[in-house]
Amino acid sequence: MEQKGVTIWFTGMSGTGKTALAIRLEEELRGRGLKVERLDGDIVRQSLTRDLGFSKEDRDKNIERVTFVAKLLTRNGVAVLCSFISPYRRVRANVRREVENFVEVYCHAPLETLIERDVKGLYKKAIAGEIENFTGISDPYEVPESPEVMIDSSTETVEESLARVLGTLEALGYVPSVGQETVYSADEEAEIEARLAALGYL
Amino acid sequence: MKKVFVIGLDCAEPTLVFEQWREHLPNLGRLMDSGTYGDLTSTIPAITVPAWASMMSSRDPGQLGFYGFRNRADYSYERMSIATSQAVKVDRVWDILSRAGKQVIVAGVPQTYPVKPVNGYLISSFLTPSTLSQYTHPASLKHEISSLIDGEYMLDVYQFRTENKDHLLEQIYQMADQHHKLIMHLMTTKPWDFFMHVDMGVDRIHHGFWKYFDKRHPQYEPGNPFENAIRDYYIHLDQQIGERLELLDDDTAVLVVSDHGSQPMMGGICFNEWLMQEGYLTLEYQPEGIVPLEKCEVDWGKTLAWGSGGYYARLFLNVKGREPNGVIDPADYERVRDELIERIAAITDPEGVNIGSVAHRPEEIYQEVNNIAPDLIVYLGNLRWRSVGSLGLNRIHTFENDTGPDDANHSQEGMYIYNDPEVQGRGRGPKRHLMDVAPTILALMGVPNPGDMQGGSFAG
Repeated sequence: MEQKGVTIWFTGMSGTGKTALAIRLEEELRGRGLKVERLDGDIVRQSLTRDLGFSKEDRDKNIERVTFVAKLLTRNGVAVLCSFISPYRRVRANVRREVENFVEVYCHAPLETLIERDVKGLYKKAIAGEIENFTGISDPYEVPESPEVMIDSSTETVEESLARVLGTLEALGYVPSVGQETVYSADEEAEIEARLAALGYL
Repeated sequence: MKKVFVIGLDCAEPTLVFEQWREHLPNLGRLMDSGTYGDLTSTIPAITVPAWASMMSSRDPGQLGFYGFRNRADYSYERMSIATSQAVKVDRVWDILSRAGKQVIVAGVPQTYPVKPVNGYLISSFLTPSTLSQYTHPASLKHEISSLIDGEYMLDVYQFRTENKDHLLEQIYQMADQHHKLIMHLMTTKPWDFFMHVDMGVDRIHHGFWKYFDKRHPQYEPGNPFENAIRDYYIHLDQQIGERLELLDDDTAVLVVSDHGSQPMMGGICFNEWLMQEGYLTLEYQPEGIVPLEKCEVDWGKTLAWGSGGYYARLFLNVKGREPNGVIDPADYERVRDELIERIAAITDPEGVNIGSVAHRPEEIYQEVNNIAPDLIVYLGNLRWRSVGSLGLNRIHTFENDTGPDDANHSQEGMYIYNDPEVQGRGRGPKRHLMDVAPTILALMGVPNPGDMQGGSFAG
């Protein structure tokens, strides 16, 4: 099956697991022989958009430039994994319009959990006023209305989230299926079989 | 263009709705009085998977390539795979409608997990591991459901195999009420042109309570406390259906459908025990206790055939060059199969009375046979007896299911009620096939039929 390019857009506040999930997805897709590129907010801001800050205008420009790159790669058959906070609906909608094959993965966790995790120490600084324009503290995050996948890193493991993202990508025809393994974990499959047996179907 | 509202009642039995309890079901009765209704022939096998997929795609199980919930993944003896939505490689009616720009809401239809995007909303069904899974499209709908429903959304009744019938009944009602609340919410807050929900409670209550009301059942006892359980559930659903119908306008056609019917279960045939008795299946040693075939040591070098349990039986032949330790020469395949068909047809009950079993060759009942079909699809007692796959009972007949009690089996005819406010109904109409439903929906909604559906529309 010829690879169909796609942009998989991971959006969510800092610390919700966008990058961790994108890294796992990249591993999995490469393992299936797909061409993959990952554009990560932290990394891109050190190069492609290092001149930009976190004002609304600069955030918009950041995403605009990334969209240009993602669109280029997607139309050349690459699976592009983009992990950006991208807090504004209008901007995300614009990416969706620009990139024909687009899958939005909304990564969520309750704010209290993110503050507690504070993976990069940024929430503490933002709460203390040391960082301005910090999404979730001093800047808004507009929750996606119809993402293709929604994950909650406070209730599911990365592997569980990965399985769901893969399931959606397979269902949409962007990723070849490797069969039942990607629908159910071994435990889930055993549980479903037990349920079917109890219902008399087996 | 018309809107279409489909009320799916898994396993709903036409004789109960059309005759026995009709006077107790005023809302379904009104649909029948001003519409057309009749028997709806199911797939072979008459079971939830593949029946609903067949109904919604107008393709037979052979074309679909799955013959039950679990199918052989390859010609090994062990590898099976569960037929999820990923097994459905053809369009179902909501896929066609979505592409045509129609807004769809699809709730609880079997075989819709994992969810696939639609133009609208989709809530998957009981093959979903749990509500932690992504069981809705869009993903955000899951959270809307959590806010609407008290407690966890019920994808199915749990702990079905229980002797605590009060608890089972409570769960069945809880699921129906929860789903009804959700349906009413979706009907009134989301745009839709096509709306379909399948209630699984009818199937669950039939299997759990049939012996309490049907005098034909060998274990029926008059005056038992659950004698009206099934009837009262049908009445409850009818009331809920009435509330939904009140929300519909005159541009909406209504279809009430079931994927198959229901009948009393006379008992179980221990199919693999029977195959052993007939010399087709050999074990290395007898198991201790009652053991599923998968856990037995089968002597494959001396085994010609093995079977599976369920509401119908599947028979698989051990063929040289096909199975790893195949023994049947391909040149003898048809002879062995013919022999088994004859012997299956001769199966009797404990009193020696023939039970009327039928064994179907897949290539004779399907337009094409995809993936790995059973070598024979067997209706024991024409579905009046279930198949028990386990070994260790040392007898052919049993009146206890190997996985617990079960009162009802499926029957080949489900039901349809078709009501279009702009069309004069005919009352009792002709028998249709469930593959006619998808073309009917497309015709009603003015969406072109792809042209390769097996069924035909009965709209108009």
